[in-house]
Amino acid sequence: MIELRQYAWGEVHRPEATSAPVRVYVWELPVRVSHWFIFLPIVVLSFTGYYMHNPFIVAKGGTTFMMATMRFIHVVSGFVFIAAFLLRMYWFFQGNSWSNWRAFLPLRRRQWRGMGNMVAYYSFLRKDLVHHVGHNALAAVTYLLMFTFMLIEILTGLALYSQVRGGSVLPVLIGWLPRLIDIQHIRLLHFCIMFSFFAFVIHHVYSAVLVSWEERNGLIESIFTGYKFVPGDELEEDAAVRKAD
Amino acid sequence: MLPSNQTLSGALQQKGVNRRRFVKFCTAMVATLALPPRYVAQVAAALEKARKPVLVWLQFQDCAGNSESILRSSHPSVLEVVLDLLSWEYHELVMAGAGHQAEAALERVVREEKGKFIAVVEGAIPLADGGVYCTIGGRTAWDIARHVCGSAAATIAAGDCAWDGGLVRANPNPTGAVGIEEAVPGAKVINLGGCPQNPANTAAVLVHYLTFGELPAMDQFNRPLFAYGRIIHDQCERRANYDAGRFVQEWGDEGHRKGWCLYKMGCKGPQATFNCPSVRWNDGTSWPVKAGHGCLGCASHRFWDTRSPFYDRLPTVPGFGADVTAGEIGLGVTAAVAGATVIHGIASAVRDRMRPPASPEPPTKA
Repeated sequence: MIELRQYAWGEVHRPEATSAPVRVYVWELPVRVSHWFIFLPIVVLSFTGYYMHNPFIVAKGGTTFMMATMRFIHVVSGFVFIAAFLLRMYWFFQGNSWSNWRAFLPLRRRQWRGMGNMVAYYSFLRKDLVHHVGHNALAAVTYLLMFTFMLIEILTGLALYSQVRGGSVLPVLIGWLPRLIDIQHIRLLHFCIMFSFFAFVIHHVYSAVLVSWEERNGLIESIFTGYKFVPGDELEEDAAVRKAD
Repeated sequence: MLPSNQTLSGALQQKGVNRRRFVKFCTAMVATLALPPRYVAQVAAALEKARKPVLVWLQFQDCAGNSESILRSSHPSVLEVVLDLLSWEYHELVMAGAGHQAEAALERVVREEKGKFIAVVEGAIPLADGGVYCTIGGRTAWDIARHVCGSAAATIAAGDCAWDGGLVRANPNPTGAVGIEEAVPGAKVINLGGCPQNPANTAAVLVHYLTFGELPAMDQFNRPLFAYGRIIHDQCERRANYDAGRFVQEWGDEGHRKGWCLYKMGCKGPQATFNCPSVRWNDGTSWPVKAGHGCLGCASHRFWDTRSPFYDRLPTVPGFGADVTAGEIGLGVTAAVAGATVIHGIASAVRDRMRPPASPEPPTKA
């Protein structure tokens, strides 16, 4: 007889698990590294970027270099962000089946059904959550949207930076954008998308906690360690579904 | 008057402009054109030999501000040399002739100097309803522009209205106004944006044309790079205050009196390219930021639409009123998501309590 509390799902109100948990390496190192090196620069970029929009700290005399320092930090963390973003894009093609691009693009009916299930769960039309080893389909398209927003931030940011920086390489790479959209509207877009990151982070942390609570599989810890603890039959089912694709 | 075969140096000597003043003018022009100083001699030599080109100045949907700007340039050398540099055959604001005689003079230039004269256009050209919203002597501005600019060696679009439609084209643009480039697609146009254009730049373009026989290097909007190649912000005398983080918070406050940066007052210097801070106005006396007012970005493409509101950093978000800023909308959305998350969290906890208990039997190892 195994102690009731030994297994995370052992509490009475959980759906019954039928097999023992298996320690499975879901998030590979590049996924975790890019996750944190996207998150941390976004925090820094948001703070410095908001200051650059509205300099709420006003220097009073003395030798300060406030705005210039903020802009320097903004630019440096911007390039760290770009590097992490590119690493994640690379891992779309190199990563395992949970971090591969196929897991994100909703090209199969199964994924659309999965999105329906998640919407039903979030809107209280379903009692229980459908468990997933990787991302659920709704989370996947949300991340896809956020990656798109990040790409827009990178492009608009580079366009704004190229206006300041000049040089020969950057204007060639991004010079087409200010010709297409006026620089003020590029700036507005760059600013507005920042708030979508705020909203996303709130929802992302909340849903991670919620799903971790429902699935009891070490989801929160997995973004640090890479490992989840998934019931064996769920893992087998997941593998079978992927093989069928 | 036509054709004038007089050389420029002869004309200047007649006017009593001595050699020293002439070389000073050439030096100023070389500096404006961002050329190395060794070009002064070349410019002076070319201008001395140059035959005075014929110039016609057309005015369409305009406020005459660009004409005022060039006429009011108190800089004696610029005024005299620019006016004497060219044989001005037609300029509605200042010409003595009127009516059919004036129109005949214009017609004569187009006929006799075809492909050789320079046209300056001031003001936008309305295209709506066949161009009826601006007619001169019974002809539409569109018709005159096609006729004159199509025959000119080069057309200078003086000011924003002639460049991109300017104020006249600003939303909602009831007359369908456009700039000269759009109205006469075949014309060889150099755009001198700005509201108004700076006479020093106009003179520099003419000097370049007379010296080198071609128009200066231009950017994607066909504006000369020497005047529109650098950001105002990078040439601004208040830049040190920007870098230091010293900002004017409201008009007339301590920072404003001390000449701090006008960034928070909506200055568009960081978003505008122009040589305004170095060439300046009224004899190089001042320019807007020096006078204590933020830059409106008047030399930027379609600035009435793209650079407004003039006293805010960012444009307003479409679909929201003019009083709602992008920051307020963003913070509102963020707060709404945070609030919805709290409510959803409570509801999820309630759902958790309401779920039927499953069997407490633990699983056995598979």
